[in-house]
Amino acid sequence: MDDAAPLRDISSAPPAAWRRIDLFAIAVRFQSVIGLVLVAMGGVIFSPRRHGIILFLAPDNIANIVRAVSETGIIAVGMTFVIITAGIDLSVGALLSLSSVLTATIMTTAGWGLIPTVLFVVACGALFGAIQGGISTRFRLEPFIVTLAGLQVARGLALVISNNQYINISYGEGPGLAPPVFAILGDRLFNNVVPVATLVFVVVAAIATFVLNFTRFGRYVFAVGGNERAARLSGVPVTLVKVSVYAITGLVSAIAGIVHAGQFNFGSANDGTGYELTAIAAVVIGGTSLFGAAGSMVGTVAGAMMLGALANILQLNNINAALQLLATGAIIVLAAVLQSLVRRREGLGR
Amino acid sequence: MIFQELDLVPGLDVTANLFLGRELTRAGVLDRATMRREARSRLETVGVEIDVDQPVGELSVGRRQIVAIAKALTYASRILVMDEPTAALTAAEVERLFAVMREIAGRGVGIVYISHRLEEVPRVADRVTVLRDGQVAGIAPASAPQSELVRLLVGRPLAELYPRRSGEFGRSVLRLEHASFRPRNTRAGWQAPVDISLEVRAGEIVGLAGIMGAGRTELLTALYGAAGAGAWSGAVEIDGAPAYLSSIRGARAEGLGLVTDDRRGSGLMLRDSVGRNLVLTVLRRVSPFFLMSRAREAELAREAIHAFDVRPALPEVPVGALSGGNQQKVVLAKEVLGGPRLLLLDEPTRGVDVGAKGEIYARIRELAGKGLGVLIASSEMPELIGLCDRVIVLRRGRTVAEFPGGADEHEVLAAAETNEGQTHG
Repeated sequence: MDDAAPLRDISSAPPAAWRRIDLFAIAVRFQSVIGLVLVAMGGVIFSPRRHGIILFLAPDNIANIVRAVSETGIIAVGMTFVIITAGIDLSVGALLSLSSVLTATIMTTAGWGLIPTVLFVVACGALFGAIQGGISTRFRLEPFIVTLAGLQVARGLALVISNNQYINISYGEGPGLAPPVFAILGDRLFNNVVPVATLVFVVVAAIATFVLNFTRFGRYVFAVGGNERAARLSGVPVTLVKVSVYAITGLVSAIAGIVHAGQFNFGSANDGTGYELTAIAAVVIGGTSLFGAAGSMVGTVAGAMMLGALANILQLNNINAALQLLATGAIIVLAAVLQSLVRRREGLGR
Repeated sequence: MIFQELDLVPGLDVTANLFLGRELTRAGVLDRATMRREARSRLETVGVEIDVDQPVGELSVGRRQIVAIAKALTYASRILVMDEPTAALTAAEVERLFAVMREIAGRGVGIVYISHRLEEVPRVADRVTVLRDGQVAGIAPASAPQSELVRLLVGRPLAELYPRRSGEFGRSVLRLEHASFRPRNTRAGWQAPVDISLEVRAGEIVGLAGIMGAGRTELLTALYGAAGAGAWSGAVEIDGAPAYLSSIRGARAEGLGLVTDDRRGSGLMLRDSVGRNLVLTVLRRVSPFFLMSRAREAELAREAIHAFDVRPALPEVPVGALSGGNQQKVVLAKEVLGGPRLLLLDEPTRGVDVGAKGEIYARIRELAGKGLGVLIASSEMPELIGLCDRVIVLRRGRTVAEFPGGADEHEVLAAAETNEGQTHG
């Protein structure tokens, strides 16, 4: 083209791409809910039958599923807050164990009532988490490192307190016996259908959903994950928010630990191993990004349920545990890949 | 290819960066000696003396740019793409760069030069292609008048880039008298504000001029309490009363608002919606009793979008999907929602197209008209002179000169660069 080429002008505007409704993005946003439905459908199809009854749908089996996921579910709910701020908490499983030991010890040896015990253990859990958050923010350490250390510390404390032995809880009135009402955590209510542990999970999840979506604090959590520097410059109390989210994971781990002690009637320093990974898996499958900012509580709950239902259906068909691990791994990768595809479509991720 | 955002590894030294991915080896072992010799001679062709053993992270941004250019030159055999290479350079460095470009063009290398600085385009280019919304809007000879380029860029003739000044100012909003900021930890390349004397009155737009590293950004962040631990000495007054600007929240309580020079890095939550970004500064106002009021939130977002003409005018769109100009409007609108009496703006039109620039200038002037004080740091001299009521020149962290709006660009530049060649102790 030569230098004196006439000026050309193209003034047609490009189509407004953002007005297009992206069904794929919406589907991925609710991927864990869809996944849960798919797993449930698979459960019905592949379920063994006895006397014409689909075992997967039997009330006892459903109750088993929701009971089995309640402890990791409670933890995953708290973990969602941390992961939305682009953090991670590895100490939750160990903290569950420590809390179960504390609960059992206090009720059997100190003779405290139910409510003081629960309040004390929950406060300890929240404090433990807050200290981890405080160390991580004050010294600008990766939460991965701090909570990895926290995991060891919590496990160590549990071993010291329990002397590496099961602390059995016996119920009754008198010294060395726990209040009988505590045993309700292992029961089922409403015609022996709904496990109490599941009710605790539902209540915790409901409160967390409300806090995340309808309070100022919830918005702060998203802001810190979305852009920490922007949040700080806009006057968001970033340090307080970060300490708070770790206090929340500590608190829910303690609740899970109390539920654990109540369900099994003992406290043990060796339980809850690997729960942190199950909880993180539930959160990721639920659509919360490990890079922070994006996430949903409903997704986490559905993610936890989906993992539980999947494990159940594999068990019902006598498929061994190794294969369960393979299936879980595949689902986590699939969930993450879908997220990444959506980010790329929106032109926001790498 | 030379990118606007530098593709260098800060932790590696200059030599290692120049040979990144194409290291010279002898018998499988890195041949440091040859690479250093080569690196030195390559930097010489660009005409700068840089210690080839220094980590790139310790160099000034201007010098880093030159290392990046030297690196690209070693790759380039036929065509060199340069994306906004002058964004961070001083006038002298720009001249040096242009000289180098002309020399390598003379050697038969084709150069694609991408810039938003219209005034420098005819100085280096033979032919200009104007892009708008991802399409070629037009192709013009370099001799085409600037107004013609602007018309192509914006899609319509742009009457007046800079709004009219009013000349009516109120009380003093910010007054610094021999004020210095002493950071608790000194950082390399961080020019602390020293002996600053300046005043911003209500309704006034004051510009901060200075070359790269003169301490413009540092002054704004230190005022905003965002410069890390440290303390101001001397007189610092907000609205006529002494102020202790030591934390972001404290500065915000005094009525300060800051828009940084990096909207993606420290301004926006890119994956979040426009609406949620806008209300970040006013979360308290839209959450009575700690509960978010969706209705109030939506109302404020709608007002802000309307006032700043953010396009598309949809609060639910992810802000990362907006154009640079519209993102900048969102950052500005967000700060304005917070109801500041003094706005600190750092490079408010960096990476913004000419059309959106005009709109942003008009908004800033409008805000000043409502009684806000505005302090703007910018590396674009025409912008400072065209928009501001007064321009204050910083050099090595000090206020050294003051010019009225509309002053001669070369005089201001001269004041900013005097003595720059000498080294101070």
